[in-house]
Amino acid sequence: MSKLFDGKAIEEIDRRKEGWQKEAYDPQKELDKTFETLSGVPVEPLYTPAHNARMDYLNDLGFPGQEPYVRGVHPTMYRGRTWTIRQLAGFGPPEETNKRYKFLLKEGATGINGVFDYPTLRGFDSTEPYARADAGRGGVAIDTLEDMSILFDGIPIDKVSSSLVTCQPICNISVQSMYFANAMMRGIPLDMLTGTSQNDFLMETAITVAPELLPPKFSFKLSCDAIEFCTKHVPRWNPISFAGYNYREAGCTADQEIAFVIANAIACSEELIRRGLDIDSFAPRLSFFLSSHNDFFEEIAKYRAARRIWFRIMKERFKAKNPRSLTFRFHVQTAGVALTAQQPLNNISRAAYHGLAAVLGGAQSVHIDGYDEALCTPTELSSLTALRTNQILQLETRVTNTIDPLGGSYFVEALTNKLEEKTSELLEKIDQIGGIVKATENGWIHKEISNSAYEYQLAIESVKMPIVGVNCYRMEDEELPIQLFEVPATLLIQEKKLKTIMKERDTSKAKGALDEISRCCDEDRNLMEVIVEGVKNRITEGEISNTLKGVYGTWNPPLF
Amino acid sequence: MKKNVRVVIARLGMDAHWRGSIVVARALRDAGMEVIYLGNQMPETIVKTAIDEDVDIVGLSTLSGNHMVLAPEVVRVLREKGMDEAKVILGGTIPPDDIPRLKEAGIAEVFGTGTPLKKIIDFVSGSI
Repeated sequence: MSKLFDGKAIEEIDRRKEGWQKEAYDPQKELDKTFETLSGVPVEPLYTPAHNARMDYLNDLGFPGQEPYVRGVHPTMYRGRTWTIRQLAGFGPPEETNKRYKFLLKEGATGINGVFDYPTLRGFDSTEPYARADAGRGGVAIDTLEDMSILFDGIPIDKVSSSLVTCQPICNISVQSMYFANAMMRGIPLDMLTGTSQNDFLMETAITVAPELLPPKFSFKLSCDAIEFCTKHVPRWNPISFAGYNYREAGCTADQEIAFVIANAIACSEELIRRGLDIDSFAPRLSFFLSSHNDFFEEIAKYRAARRIWFRIMKERFKAKNPRSLTFRFHVQTAGVALTAQQPLNNISRAAYHGLAAVLGGAQSVHIDGYDEALCTPTELSSLTALRTNQILQLETRVTNTIDPLGGSYFVEALTNKLEEKTSELLEKIDQIGGIVKATENGWIHKEISNSAYEYQLAIESVKMPIVGVNCYRMEDEELPIQLFEVPATLLIQEKKLKTIMKERDTSKAKGALDEISRCCDEDRNLMEVIVEGVKNRITEGEISNTLKGVYGTWNPPLF
Repeated sequence: MKKNVRVVIARLGMDAHWRGSIVVARALRDAGMEVIYLGNQMPETIVKTAIDEDVDIVGLSTLSGNHMVLAPEVVRVLREKGMDEAKVILGGTIPPDDIPRLKEAGIAEVFGTGTPLKKIIDFVSGSI
């Protein structure tokens, strides 16, 4: 027993607070607005121990690196090792992005965070009709193993960890396989590789949907195949990063964001256990990717709540024993959707607040957005400013001096409990539906997210949610003070490389590799096992995807 | 009696972001218009639907940066097929320098990030 406050003291505090509210606090003097969090949790004028009356220190908070991990996943947290600065980068052909990676590493980034272009993320080759206008946009174009070797040329992938933003499992199954195959060809054993891939089936089927989607259960299968493969062969790799960040960008509230990532992780765990794996063989490598949005305290509470919920689920539902299985480890990207195209330099301060919330919430790695992201792909200057913002946070503000500095704040603890409660309710609902895959197939997820997105927009319309430069302090005839990024020519470069490959490759070997993939689908075996070898025969990402779609069919997401 | 305004909304090419297009589609539907939501499509299919459904407005959305290639293509194919009256509007992440060029290519209006829904509703409902 380590109750935070004793019952008598609480009674006395409550009694006095009532007096204070009657005599001193005049609600008439409050501004005319609703005091609530961004996700709609009502916020009271003042928080006291009475809001945390039932809290038990050891049971509900504990110590960093110990159960229930609310205060942090490592005992020393940022006093031992600061968060990884992992700035997202990727655009155009791999030749160009390789230069940006080297630039960021030289300037002090401590890991690669590679994003892929629209066609690559959706499993298309740059040259396919749907893809041509989007080649090189939003990320780097990868069509074959050769592109992957160009992308990481000269980068010590046995030492630097790489985060591969392979959002869709249909992309991940090819692109991650190419990364592994490239390492093998460079003579680096797979068990030396460190990094993370995204590989989230909700990204494919609900969040960043594309033409010709795989049906949810097959996208989910590919995701689990990659996790299973890494558990067996690439033990230091995080084979999935549940992309709550993107769920939030699509419209989710804070509680939906963490409920949906955790529901997804539950589904993956159940499936991998069904395949015969032990929870502690893969759960230590399940990782999470969260947003940091405008509501400063709610975001901090969200990270803390997520750690407690995950701990309890892993411990009670899955009986995990390895402490690493019990810890909710996450990367944060500051919310792109909170940035404005109007007065874009204001985004530097927005993203700095977002970054601060992430580290006060105990993030393991942080990407701070460029100020121009509501207008274009970040330029070198905006990427550098974002990197420097992260470094200022880490080196100048001294927020790293002590662990979980807001732990014990009456407000933050109450909000952490509230978010835990709201999230648990959503998790129960998803369980009742039959899990996250069913909730996606029947469109429940799409409806939840689009309802939240719509409400958010209506709050901006009604100025209930002020956004500086958008619905207040707008400047007419604003001159854009920044240079925009131009995507380097990509399609022609990729087209030329693909043509050469088609001409030079051993056609029968390529066909054999694709046939083997098709057979593997029919026999319901692990596809990554086959694709890691297959890509060495110079088959393209598009060919692999089309083979998968040929067997599994396609699906139209119920968005509207 | 004035007929309902009919709108088709599509995301161009590979663009991944549905949030804006869905929010606009819902706002137009709530404002009493008939909305057909296509998801990701290429210009030919968008135009075919526009003709089949006899729409007044073709609403395009993209944040990927493909707008300079695909949006003018929608206007071109639409006019080529003889659909002269339907207006094409565009929303998403559109660099301001591109707007005059898009308008020259026949895009009736561009609604960038931060546009109030009301402005879009007024434009669309005033189109017939």
